[in-house]
Amino acid sequence: MGNILRKEMRLSSLVIVYLFIAFGLMFFLPGYPILCGAFFLTLGLYQNFRYARECNDILFSALLPIAKQDVVKGKFVFSCLIEMLCFALMLVSTLVRMTVLSDSPVYRSNALMNANFFALAMALLLIGIFNLIFIGSFFKTGYKTGKPFVVYIAVCFVIIGIAEALHHFPGLEALNAFGFDCFVLQLFTLIAGAICFVGLTIISYRKSCYNFERIDL
Amino acid sequence: MSIVKVCNLRKSYPSFELDNVSFSLEAGRITGFIGRNGAGKTTTIKSILNLVHPDGGEIEYFDTPLHGNEAAIKKRIGYSTGTINWYPRKKIKDIADVMKDFYDSWDENIYRQYLKLFNLDEEKSAIQLSEGMKVKCNLLFALSHGAEVLILDEPTSGLDPFSRDELLELFEKIKGEGVAIFFSTHIITDIEKCADDILYISHGRIIAAMPKDEFQQKCMNDGETLEDTFLRMERNERAERSEING
Repeated sequence: MGNILRKEMRLSSLVIVYLFIAFGLMFFLPGYPILCGAFFLTLGLYQNFRYARECNDILFSALLPIAKQDVVKGKFVFSCLIEMLCFALMLVSTLVRMTVLSDSPVYRSNALMNANFFALAMALLLIGIFNLIFIGSFFKTGYKTGKPFVVYIAVCFVIIGIAEALHHFPGLEALNAFGFDCFVLQLFTLIAGAICFVGLTIISYRKSCYNFERIDL
Repeated sequence: MSIVKVCNLRKSYPSFELDNVSFSLEAGRITGFIGRNGAGKTTTIKSILNLVHPDGGEIEYFDTPLHGNEAAIKKRIGYSTGTINWYPRKKIKDIADVMKDFYDSWDENIYRQYLKLFNLDEEKSAIQLSEGMKVKCNLLFALSHGAEVLILDEPTSGLDPFSRDELLELFEKIKGEGVAIFFSTHIITDIEKCADDILYISHGRIIAAMPKDEFQQKCMNDGETLEDTFLRMERNERAERSEING
């Protein structure tokens, strides 16, 4: 596994994908839809898949002395690594906002979504959706990136819109809790988000292995 | 000794069919795989590398079926193409660095020897190499892990006559080390110059699979060149197919 991950890092990836990890810090932005940070992360990964395609990376990998499903595993492990690094930045940003900056007026007067565990859960959901829709569809052909990404964008922005709107509905104000208010609810949503991320990624990985084994390169 | 055996390989596309392709490759021999564009050369090569999935047939390397033993077999074979470049902007040394992790048999000394022999600068990337040098670069990777079979898809395509000649001489040298070379081409002089065996494919069917000397005795008419023979056989094939199709 180490060799395929090293191949992903040294041959198949653009610098941009590492730079886009920094979009996790968008969780610090007030007055901005912070979930766009998760979208920008996936935009970097999308560019990476396109770059790999232009370099004939899939064919190169398929000719290496590894099982075909290891080619899929390499892409998933690399993507998840980048996603988790970005999520770590989101988590740090959120914890800072929930603690030392919890009473900051600039965040308190923010009409948009607050950075809390619910926001992190939604970010995990978006990343899981990317793994399911984009990466899963990519391995149906080994080369198509455009249509899967357009479908993902549509789903992604619907989810961002819903997430941003939810706390404006009566009874759902707690989803926009500040600091450690409604902590049990926040924690529950984060766990649910993590389960969604893991579940969607595993489903996509299994589907991708199945499809990639059957396509002609 | 046959180190590659292909038996009744079949693959159907809507407008093309690979029809029971069978052949074998011997250690230390060069097999020229000839056929016109679209005859089925690349489909055959991709099938024996498991890049496309045959509808039927058996493929064995070193008396082991490819199916189920792909990773172990791929450690012992090398593939190169004249038409595809890997990571055009990456340095040769970076690609080699990654590749060596995948092959237990990677030999750094052999890598250095071939680097020198091919006159390749490992600081260069594929985009900075000429077409001939790109093929040599792929051969470098294949030979550095001690490939016992080289499968080359149109390695001479797009090369000038001097580079082609140089490459074919190189094949002779590699063959001397006991490596089986299987290369596809539509350039008949390539076959004439270096092939020991001929595999001739037309419309997805193997028309001839035999040593070159035998082919010359059996198929060539008096005064014909190898090129004349292939052109005549191809015309006959086309005529037969026209009759069958009415």
